[in-house]
Amino acid sequence: MWVALSYACWGISIVLALWMLYDWFKIDTTYSEEMLTSSREGELEAVSEKHRI
Amino acid sequence: MTITAEPAVQVQGDRVSLLRVLGPAHVWALGVGIVLVGEFTGWNFAADKGGALAALIVCWIVGLLYTSVAMIDSEVTSTVAAAGGQYAQAKHIVGPLMAFNVALFLVFAYTMLEVSDAILLGDTIVAKAGVEGLNHNSFIAATIVVLAWLNYRGVLMTLNVNFVITAIAYVSIVILFFSVSPWTQGAVLKLNELVTPGNALPYGWIGVIAAFQFGIWYYLGIEGTTQAAEEVRSPARSLPYGTMAGMITLLIAAAMTWYVCASLMPWEYLGITYYPLWDAGKLTGSALLENLLFIATLLAALASANGCINDAARAWFSLGRDRYLPTWFSAVHPKYRTPYRSILFLLPIALAFAFIADLNQAITFSILSGVLQYTFMSINIIMFRKKWPLGSIRRGYTHPFHPLPAIVLFCLCVVTFFAIFLGFGSQLIAMVAFYFLISLWFHFYRYKFVRRGAQFTMPWPKPQGY
Amino acid sequence: MARYTPPEQSKAGQVFDIAVVVVAIFVALWLPLKLGLAGAAKSIDALDAKTWEALGQNPTMASIWEKLGYTPETAHDIIQNRFHYIIDWPTLIIMAAVLIGYFIFLFRASDREYRDVINEKFGDK
Repeated sequence: MWVALSYACWGISIVLALWMLYDWFKIDTTYSEEMLTSSREGELEAVSEKHRI
Repeated sequence: MTITAEPAVQVQGDRVSLLRVLGPAHVWALGVGIVLVGEFTGWNFAADKGGALAALIVCWIVGLLYTSVAMIDSEVTSTVAAAGGQYAQAKHIVGPLMAFNVALFLVFAYTMLEVSDAILLGDTIVAKAGVEGLNHNSFIAATIVVLAWLNYRGVLMTLNVNFVITAIAYVSIVILFFSVSPWTQGAVLKLNELVTPGNALPYGWIGVIAAFQFGIWYYLGIEGTTQAAEEVRSPARSLPYGTMAGMITLLIAAAMTWYVCASLMPWEYLGITYYPLWDAGKLTGSALLENLLFIATLLAALASANGCINDAARAWFSLGRDRYLPTWFSAVHPKYRTPYRSILFLLPIALAFAFIADLNQAITFSILSGVLQYTFMSINIIMFRKKWPLGSIRRGYTHPFHPLPAIVLFCLCVVTFFAIFLGFGSQLIAMVAFYFLISLWFHFYRYKFVRRGAQFTMPWPKPQGY
Repeated sequence: MARYTPPEQSKAGQVFDIAVVVVAIFVALWLPLKLGLAGAAKSIDALDAKTWEALGQNPTMASIWEKLGYTPETAHDIIQNRFHYIIDWPTLIIMAAVLIGYFIFLFRASDREYRDVINEKFGDK
């Protein structure tokens, strides 16, 4: 049972890691770099609340 | 005196920022979640260094240190509410190079703590399974990757999960405490037979000082609450409230943990076991308690690693945002609103160390970076009060008895450095040498890419003396 | 005061800087492990008589050790594995000097950079 669990852990890790890599690639190719790195320190909460994607 | 209210940065066009969704309970979950694992492993190494009584003495004295940390942090952070926490504080109060170092302290302390959590979780499962040849690596990988994924997908879910698992782990300590009838010694608990005048302080007072090193582990990470500053709905209120509530919770948990563990096992064993509370569960003879504490150990490790990923990624993200490191790191995921590149970047680093380091070493790295950071905090608060005296800016919370907490904190940091010297002196020198070299790199090379005035984002008046 | 405009960093430069930081992190954390610097000075004070009394354990302690699956023989290496706290003055002085020097450098260099920041932020108002 424990050995099976160990294999399941490897499986989950690989699947989730691949999913994150896929999503990362998708986001980086879909959106512009300026938009992705547009967060600024000290913006008031009202501004970020209003903004909707 | 005037208080400018306009935002420091003009906002235009398409912007993505971190999401403001968290409340005080999440702040509590982030702080206590990171720290509580310290009760399940780590604090007990203080008993190894100085005996059972030394572990109790440092529990209180280091508790005082952290109460100072929490008070100081609450004041500064309720005023400088930005992701990166102490990093943003250092940037506004001391200067860029200090900020760079503080961010590295944070990333190191949290990443190494995450590594310790993952190792603990892997080892606990392997110990429970008792299967020949079962390796802990798969459990370590799953812990780190699954939690990174959770963090990637959004901060609200991450901290909701943290709240639930932290609460369960905490309640299990309370259940253990009350089920061993703490009010009567002799039935289950045998404190006066296990801690005798002869063995209470086996190394004398030098042992008590040496124990400081692991006494830090009772509370290390509570200051991580400040990393959530840009995601909390009302930072000026939630951060002090969540941090202080967390500190009180932890003081109670630490006292209960010591009392139960010291009353159930001899200090020589307590000092070397990796699972003091799980062992305490076993020694009560109740299978229910044993299993409860086994699960609680896993949950506490998960909660801690989860919070650490959250905090380390925020600190790294802030470094990118100010161009202290390449701006590439400052990307925010447009859908999940998380610093996704920082999360992904730190993931393989954590994995690599979890596979090669052992628990004791990872803990020491984390403690070292933590103590360097507390030393900074004690000086930082004094400079903060000097540059912006009370009344010159709006503070969400003002801590009492200034400068007493800062002085206490500074003195206790000096003692802790001495304690680290007693066990891990050369490691401390190596670490400081690293920070020194990377500071030179930053000061003479990297800083040229940083915008000067733009990194000061708080709408404050000019500091006094400049 | 004139506003400082930082140079734009090329993609290759960014990648190189990330590599520098990663290598530095690994060296700082790995080297102490590799050189065997990590870990405290603990050594076993061996005893000839391996009984619970000789190991300084009273009957309550002995019963707990046994519950945990130890015999006096197996527990001997745990109980007698002791720290030897010796204050090595030269190392202590080096450590203190390194720490103090580091913090002095940090605060002084930060202050120089900070004055620029404040001048640029508040100078042109």
